[in-house]
Formats: sequence, C-alpha cells, structure tokens
Amino acid sequence: MSDRSQLISTGESFAFDAERDAEFERLVVRYPIRESMIMPALWMAQEQAGWISAEAIEYIADRIGTFPAKVLELATFYTMYQLKPVGRYHICVCRTLSCWLRGKQDIVDYLADEIGIKPGEMTEDGKFSFEEVECLGHCGTAPVVQINGEFHEEMDLKKFKALLATLT
Amino acid sequence: MAEMVKLFVNGQEVEVESGKNLIDALKVVGIEIPHFCYHPALGADGNCRMCLVGIEDGRPPIVPACKTPVQAGMKVLLDAEHIKKIQHDVLEFELINHPIDCPVCDQAGECSLQDYYMKYSLDDSRMRVDQVAKAKRMDFGCGVVHDQERCVLCARCVRFTRQITKTGELGIVNRTDAARVTIFPGRPLNNRYALNIVDLCPVGAMTSQDFRFRQRVWFLKKDASICHGCSRGCNIYIDHHREKYKDDIIYRFRPRTNLLVNGYFICDAGRLSYKEENENRQVTSLIEGRQAPFDETIAAIRQKLDQARKPLILISPDCSLEQMWAVRRVSTLYGASLSGFSDAYVKAGDGDDFLINDDKAANRRGLELLGIKTDRKSFIEALQKTDLFVNFNNDLHFSGVDEEIDALLGTVQSIAVCSHQRDVFKTASIILPIASYSEYGGTIINQDYVLQAFAKAVVKNEAGKDMLEVTRLLGGAVIDARHAWPGIRKSVACLADVDPAAIPAEGIKLQTGEDANVGA
Repeated sequence: MSDRSQLISTGESFAFDAERDAEFERLVVRYPIRESMIMPALWMAQEQAGWISAEAIEYIADRIGTFPAKVLELATFYTMYQLKPVGRYHICVCRTLSCWLRGKQDIVDYLADEIGIKPGEMTEDGKFSFEEVECLGHCGTAPVVQINGEFHEEMDLKKFKALLATLT
Repeated sequence: MAEMVKLFVNGQEVEVESGKNLIDALKVVGIEIPHFCYHPALGADGNCRMCLVGIEDGRPPIVPACKTPVQAGMKVLLDAEHIKKIQHDVLEFELINHPIDCPVCDQAGECSLQDYYMKYSLDDSRMRVDQVAKAKRMDFGCGVVHDQERCVLCARCVRFTRQITKTGELGIVNRTDAARVTIFPGRPLNNRYALNIVDLCPVGAMTSQDFRFRQRVWFLKKDASICHGCSRGCNIYIDHHREKYKDDIIYRFRPRTNLLVNGYFICDAGRLSYKEENENRQVTSLIEGRQAPFDETIAAIRQKLDQARKPLILISPDCSLEQMWAVRRVSTLYGASLSGFSDAYVKAGDGDDFLINDDKAANRRGLELLGIKTDRKSFIEALQKTDLFVNFNNDLHFSGVDEEIDALLGTVQSIAVCSHQRDVFKTASIILPIASYSEYGGTIINQDYVLQAFAKAVVKNEAGKDMLEVTRLLGGAVIDARHAWPGIRKSVACLADVDPAAIPAEGIKLQTGEDANVGA
C-alpha cells in the first residue's frame, strides 16, 4: 500500500446533490453514533464525483460534525475509496500474504513494465489505473485481482493478460 | 484510601490498590510493565501490545495489562519465557522501519523505545529489505515537529487532541506499514496545549521546535517547581543546566503530575514562560543610573525609607507567601502604606475551562489571606499622598501602559526591587536586582486555595538576592522563609496548622471561610 494521504484539492466546494442529500438524512438517523455515518457518506461522495477530493472530506466532516482528520483516517484506510480520479478500468492487486506468496508480483511487474503504470498511477489514455491493496478476503484463491469491483481469482500472468485483452 | 488486594507477580506476593489496571497498580510497588500506548490521562487503548502479560490459569492466558484490572489472587507472569518472547517480538516489529537515529534524536535518554530495547531486546535487526520511507521534519504547527519514521503508532497524540483538547487535528492515515500520523492538509495543530504532545510521545516522533537540538536530556537537572504563569499554579519540572564556564540556563519546563491542580498537563504559554526566567534579567544595582555595589544600594534604600514622610510599598502578586509577609513587616516598620494592586495581571477572557486562568498572578490568594489591599482606589489614593514609592517587582505595565498611574508615578520618587528589566521600573531612581521564582523557594496559594511549596532550582552566576534577604537587610524581622511562618500562622486562620516543611507534593487544599462549604 502506498501513502494515500496526499489529497487532491479541486478548488471548488463540494456538496451532495439533492438525491444524495435526502439519502444522507434518511441514513443518518439509523446510527446511534453519528460518526458511524462517515463510511456511507464517503461512498455517496465517491458515487457522485467518481472520486473523493479534499473538499468532499471536509464537507463530510462538517456535515457529520466530526474532525476532518477522522474522516481522512477512514478514507485512507480503505482502498475502496478513490482519493484521485481513476481510469475506466481500475485494477486492484492484492498484496497481502497469500497473494504475495502466490505470485502477485508477476502481475505488478507486468503492469509496470508492459502497461507502464506503477501502483497509484493511471495510463495516459485514462483506460487503466492500478493500485496495490490490502487483503481482499479471498486468500484461498490467491492471487486475487479486482477490476472495477469484480473479483478475478487464482490469477497468473497468462490469465491476467487474457483478461486485459477482453477489456476495451 | 482504596481497598488493597493481594496478588502474585512472578510468584512473589504483592499488595496493591484495587480498582487500577495492572500497569498503574504494579508501578506503585516498583514493578514496571513496558507499554507505549497506555497513558493514565488517555486511558487504555490496547494497540501497542507491549504490555501483554501472562495470567497463570487465566482465561485468556495472555492479556494486555493496560486493560486488565487487578484482582485478588491473580497470578501475573512477567518474566516467563513466552512473555519475554512477546516483548522481544513486539520490539522487533516496532524497529523494522525505525531509523534508529538515536545519536541525533532529541528523545534519546528519555525514549521508551530506546529503554525497552536495552532492557528487553538487544538484538540485531534481521531485516534484509529496504525500510519504508516516510516524511520527516513535518511542521504540525504550535511548535510541534513530527518525524513519521520514528513513530510507533501508539496514537497517544491523536487521542490527546480528541479527548483532551477536543480539537482533533491529528489522525493516523493509511494502514499496515504505510500508516502514519498526520494533520488534515492545511489544518495544523491549533490549540493552547499542543506541546503536551511532545511529552506524551513515548519516542522521538514528536519534538518541540523550541527545545530540539538545544541540549541533551541527560545533562539536564530536573527540579520540581510551580509555574508562575497564572493563578492555576501548575506543577512543573524546571530542566536546567550549567555548561562549563557558563551560566545556569533553563532549557524547558515540563508538566509534573498533580491531580489536585493540573492533572498531567500544562499550557503552552506556561511551558514557554521559562524563557522569561532566562532573559531580560536585572542583574546590576543602580543608583541614579550609576552602577553601585549591592550594600551601598541597600543603604541608600534604607536612608530614603527613613527620610520619607509617607512611603508607599507595592508588592507583586507573584511573590511567595513568605515574601509577602516579610514585605508587610517592613511596611509596618517604616509606617508605609502597603498595596498589592495588580489589576494589570488579570486578562479578562483569556482563560478557558481547562488549565488557563484569566488571572496571571501566581499568588493573589496570598495577598487576600494576608489582608493586603489590592483595589485600585486605595492604591491611587496612597500614590497621591506618598513621597516615596517602593515597588517590589510588581509589573504595573503587565497589560500595557496605565496612563493615570503613570502620570502619578512621574511626580514621585521611586525605588524598584525587581527581578527583570521592565519599562515600569525604568523611572526608578534606585534599582535593586532580586531573584525570580526559579531561584528561591517558598509557598504560594492558587486560585482554588491549594497551598503548594516549591524549592530553589536555578543558581545564577550573578544571583539576585531573594526578596526575603532584601527585606531582612532593610531591617525586617524575617530572616528566612521558615522564620516567616510563626507570624503567618498567627495572622491567617486557615494556615494556623500548616507546617511548611511538611506540605505534601500535591499541596494542601485550604479550608477558607467562603470555601469551607464547597468542600475539597
């Protein structure tokens, strides 16, 4: 995992749109501790803008009534939250023990050498972005690659190349 | 007194206070359990795993000591092989990415990681991979400098900003070996207690911009004292050192735990007020601007006091109880009016609901209990009538120029007995240097009527005399601090039973008339 705490600022203020605003109010009453709303709120911000900016985090903190640093903790802990714009296909490669032992590095090296993206980077055409993530919970079928939220298990370099070829 | 329970540590029976966790309870009887994240002010977090201990026949058999209350009959294992291995392994884990730059680290000498390594590990690193690089010398604001690589992620700093100051500037971002403490971009530390983070940090990750690289901690002499920055009377350590051929210099103040007064912390303003003890000091005696020997200056002051028709003596509200008493005796001797007028020391609205008080006078309660008037009206009346004004270290300009008083001061001959060079003393025809509070011992009473004693810490090369010595040389009857007490006891009801030599470290909560109903 790389450092995710270098937030990107859009220079424009962020606010939920009408639909998400209503959704926020519907959900927030469910939680006895208001701060529990941080994670759903981060999801909603990501759905709305595609990724989560510094302004979005400040907005969520203000809206919930907590410290921005606390929202930042959660946003950087979970790699499912995108803290910068991602490509059309966002590739997550698990780097935790089982996947590492079972050869995730071949896939990481391939992406670096052949596709030209290191962890945290995006191709110039915006097609692929790539991130190394912590355990995805499929250790029994390691190594695991997740593309736009979809799991691809028991990967090896050959299968991975074939998989990329299907993505247009 | 809390109930005592008996338990066993490594097979040895010990008796400890109930209701505490193992770390606190065993510390009292001299048994150390290593820990990073636990701090009595912040509670148990259980994240560092350094305090894991074995419980013989316990379920579970291994527990974090910080979260485990003592129980009668408990069999605690600290030196069993499997516990030693845990301590050793946790340290190895902490040291994987630690830069081990102790020779240039300010924490060296007072670092938990360093101490525990020497005690529980002493192994070479087995790591053959590159260390994770993180940010160094991060300016977190408020004079706190952060080194992410030295951090052990105990989260004491984060919990401090959330639980104590409730400002929440800090957080731990990322996870695994990329985890680090940081601020939200553009929102640095912004509270008046931030430098406590430097003390709380068990390692060298948080250092003070003010103190770092200035002195090695093992050279510092650490003397207990009381902060004179406001009427709270926070307990402090004065860390000072005399380098060879140089003067005794104070390098920092640190909080000293006193649950009756300040708890575990002090404010940043008080912490940095050590500078005032070093700087701008009055060191020479002056008569009409001419440098004069001390004895000659004293004689000149005596002569002026003898000749004066109606002298007025003003005393500082920062003086010790003994000094106030001695000055009161001197004022009687010369038939002088005595005032403790010090409205300038009150900065209305500056205080908060934690430690900082509006009143910046350390011993205003002392003036009150000794019956020394502090009101403006009587001071101005006395000033209008007087032909000699003797100021015992009272900074009338503490909150800026006071034009009405300055106009009156301009018309009268004045003498300053002062520890610092200040504007308000400049007009004095005679100036006599005296010691400041780090250089004498005495007692003071804080806003909440807690009587506390403090001792002399610093010995300057050009030492100003204790104010008590000055009053004695002016003919006063008080020889030293101890000698003031029979008179004080007789004069102040709530101090009647106090033995100044036997004031406990946490002080004595006085039962005064108005306070008696409130209770301690």
